[in-house]
This record gives sequence, structure tokens and C-alpha cells, in this order.
Amino acid sequence: MTAEVLKYTLEQVEALELAPGAEHEQLEGWVPALADEDDLRQALEKAFDYRGDVTLTLKSGERIEAFIFNRHTGATLADSYVQYFTPSAPEKRKVSYAEIARLAFGKDRAAGKHWEDWVKKYNERKAAGEQGIALHPEALD
Amino acid sequence: MAVPISQMWTVATYVLKKKLAGNKRYPLVLMLEPLFRCNLACAGCGKVQYPPHILRKQLSPKECFAAVEECGAPMVSLPGGEPLLHPQIVEIVSGLVARKKYVYLCTNALELKRRLPEFTPSKYLTFSVHLDGQREHHDFSVCREGGYDIAVEGIKEAVKRGFRVTTNATFFDGTDPNSVRAFFDEVMDMGVEGIVLSPGYSYDKAPDQNRFMGRARVRRLFRAILSNRKPTWKFNMSPLFLEFLMGDRKYECTPWGSPAYNIFGWQRPCYLLQDGYTETYKELIETTKWEEYGVASGNPKCANCMVSCGYEPTAVIEGFTSLKGFWGIVRGTFSLYRDEHALKLLNEAAPHGPVSLVQIEKPARVLEETNA
Repeated sequence: MTAEVLKYTLEQVEALELAPGAEHEQLEGWVPALADEDDLRQALEKAFDYRGDVTLTLKSGERIEAFIFNRHTGATLADSYVQYFTPSAPEKRKVSYAEIARLAFGKDRAAGKHWEDWVKKYNERKAAGEQGIALHPEALD
Repeated sequence: MAVPISQMWTVATYVLKKKLAGNKRYPLVLMLEPLFRCNLACAGCGKVQYPPHILRKQLSPKECFAAVEECGAPMVSLPGGEPLLHPQIVEIVSGLVARKKYVYLCTNALELKRRLPEFTPSKYLTFSVHLDGQREHHDFSVCREGGYDIAVEGIKEAVKRGFRVTTNATFFDGTDPNSVRAFFDEVMDMGVEGIVLSPGYSYDKAPDQNRFMGRARVRRLFRAILSNRKPTWKFNMSPLFLEFLMGDRKYECTPWGSPAYNIFGWQRPCYLLQDGYTETYKELIETTKWEEYGVASGNPKCANCMVSCGYEPTAVIEGFTSLKGFWGIVRGTFSLYRDEHALKLLNEAAPHGPVSLVQIEKPARVLEETNA
């Protein structure tokens, strides 16, 4: 059982007025120091939860831009791997933790997309007399 | 209840067969996400925060059909992203209908009116149109002025062409229950088959983590909304699940009841949480540590969840596997849930929080009890 379970009793849960959400760290641009195995495991766990690409540098020197969507943690680094998509290939790929030398967190795709940002923008544009106010998805090209 | 008898029969017999076969974990609705791309950019959305190369990916029809056949669920929900942006969505829907799956195509309906001629009405196909409330509320919620009007045009055209149509609303903290009730009147007037609703959930990947109601607040809101119903309101949901939202029933989550499949694989443990992926449905069922999820586990990620994908399967299974549950369905289908305390909650309710930024015209009356 993971460490994060068993934090609430059923009574506490039923009485909650507001639900505490996840706390997101500012990871964009972060290059974690990987001094030991624990550092690497923790960094890859954050990469798995991250809402953007990370750049993996393998011990072979190969660099991979990857969206990490899955991880399997085994007893050793060699038994553990991440699964990812890369922009240049259609298929899922995987790489062992043991092969990873460095990782760097790229653009956070949720940055600037907070509800409060929209409320502020909306109020400003409305005050300026604008009509048909809308947010539009970013271009995918 | 607005669900057609044929669909209820299909689901009821499916559930009973599973029970008789001794199956402990089986799916009721496959949440099949064919893509994450969307034509809206809703602030705070927890579903589409991906890099462009991920948003360009999509499941092929073959992959969709394989997932459906692998898990065997009698119903398939097609959320996203916006499914109507998938270039092969017609082929996917046709293939699912041919397999006699009850398909709920969840759409923001921006493209619905234009795409309708490509689809054929069927008892197996429902357009589940995302409408989060009255015009101003919906437009503000999806960050697009005019979005409500486009969606309503799509709904009316779909109804006119003989399609099954439901609306699908998510309510967050600050929701005005009086406005929601007025919204129910509006959508029923559009001729939809029924209403689908759910409290919001704090997706891990959502940019905002502070607009989510805890269980006590959810129960109060839904008691105010769903008590003292008008006879014209129809809900395309289990009455037992609605009673759960109102605080009349206590349920545990059934995450395997609505398994999710997308470009990453089978999502562990449920449609809302992303705790990893498996390659096969069998692996999902057999290797997920189910005891670590659900409200009884104490997992904080599940603490505020009262969402339909986890709890409606519990309600459906209870309804079709026990006489008491079945009687609850019958009673709930015809009850208006008269409740003086809920009336008081409605009269006390005032818009607050982010939603109050939008000025909604309130009915001139203080709440009058709904006509029986």
C-alpha cells in the first residue's frame, strides 16, 4: 500500500466542506540533481505526474523529448521503467530507469490556465466593451 | 427515469448474469476517450493539459472496437477532448452501434449541428451535450460567450432529427441551486430525453485545485437542487445515485464499473485518477490495488469524489441485484422528493464564488414549491 493512503477517516471525509486538491510544484525548467537512486525515482515520479514534456538524457548520450505517461517501479532501477510518447514517433516507448542520466522539465501545459486568470481576463475585456469573449485552444502546429 | 426500457433491460440482465456467474468486478460503462483534443479552452480543465504531440494523437476505430470487445461493457461513453473533432468518429460510432452498445457521445456541441447529417438516429446512440447551466453560467464555465446558444441549436436540431439527446452538467463550488433548477426547466423544454449531472472532481492535472466541494457541501447542494422536483424533469441516471448525491444513501466507489481507455492504455484506477496504465483490461482488473482507492481507503485523492463514474455503477448494481434496490429505483422514478428543509436551503441560497461574477436573472418569485 502506498504512503499516501489512509490519511482520512470515513467520518472526516463525509464532513469535508471543501476538498483539498493536489499541490502542484513549479517544475518547468527544473533539472533535478540525481545524486542517488532515490533522487532518480522521485524525479521520475514527478515527471510521470507532470503536464508537459521532459527531456531525458540517457547514459548513452541519447536525448529524448518525452511525455511520460506511465511508470513501473520494481525493486531495482533495471526492473523499473517509464513509458512515454515522443513527438517524432507514433508508438509508445519505454526506457529503464537504469539508463537515465539526466532529466529536464519542459513547458508546463497547465501554466497560465487557472480559473482566476480567466476571471481577470474576462473582467478586463468586458470592461473594455469587448463582446464574444472567449479563450481558444492553442494551435497544435 | 428517462432511460428507455430496452436499455434498462440490457443493463439489468447483464448485471444479473455477472452476479450469477460470480463475477466480482465487471464494467458497466467503458469510458472510451478517442482523443484529448478539444475546440474549447476551458480554464481549469483537467483533461486536456497535454503537449501538442499528445493532443494530435487519437485512437483508431480498430483500437476503439478492440477495447470495447475486450472489456465487454454494455454501454460506451465517448468523452474527450471533443469526440466530434475525431476524423473517424462516424465510423467509430457506427461500429459501436453495430455491436449493439449503448453509446453516449459526450460533446460540447459546437460542431454538432454541422455533423448531424453524418449520423443515423438509433436507440443505441445518445448525444450527451455538455451544458453547465443557464446561458451565462455555461458560457462563463466553458470560457466562450455564445457557446450556450450554439450548443442549444445543436440540441434542437438533434431532437428534431430523432436522435436521443441528454444534457450533461458538472457543478462546482459556488453553484446557485435556483439557477440550476431553472436550467432544468430550460433543457426539458428543448425536448431532451433527460438530464445528466455530477459534482466536479479535483482532477490531479487540473490547473486549479481549490474550486472543489467536499462531500458535506455536495450533499447540501444536491439536496437543494434535487428535492421538490418538477414532474417534467427527467434524469438519465439511476435514481439511487441521485439519492446518494442528496445524502440519502451511502455508497462505496466501484471504479472498475467505468474503466477508461485512451491513447495511453487502460487507465488505473478509474476515469478520474491517472495512477498509471496497463496494456490490457485483464491486467487492469487483476493488478490494480483496488483497496487503495475509494472513500473507504482514506486515499485523499478519493476524498471528495462523489462522481457518477465511480458511484453510479454502485447504484446500478444495487438496483438490479436486490429487491430493495429495485424498489428504490421504482420509488425514485416517481417520487418528487418533497422536502421542506431543502426548500429552506433554496431560499437561503445566493450565488457566491467565481460563478457570481456572471449576472443571472433570478426568477421574480422567492422559491415557490414546485407543482406536483
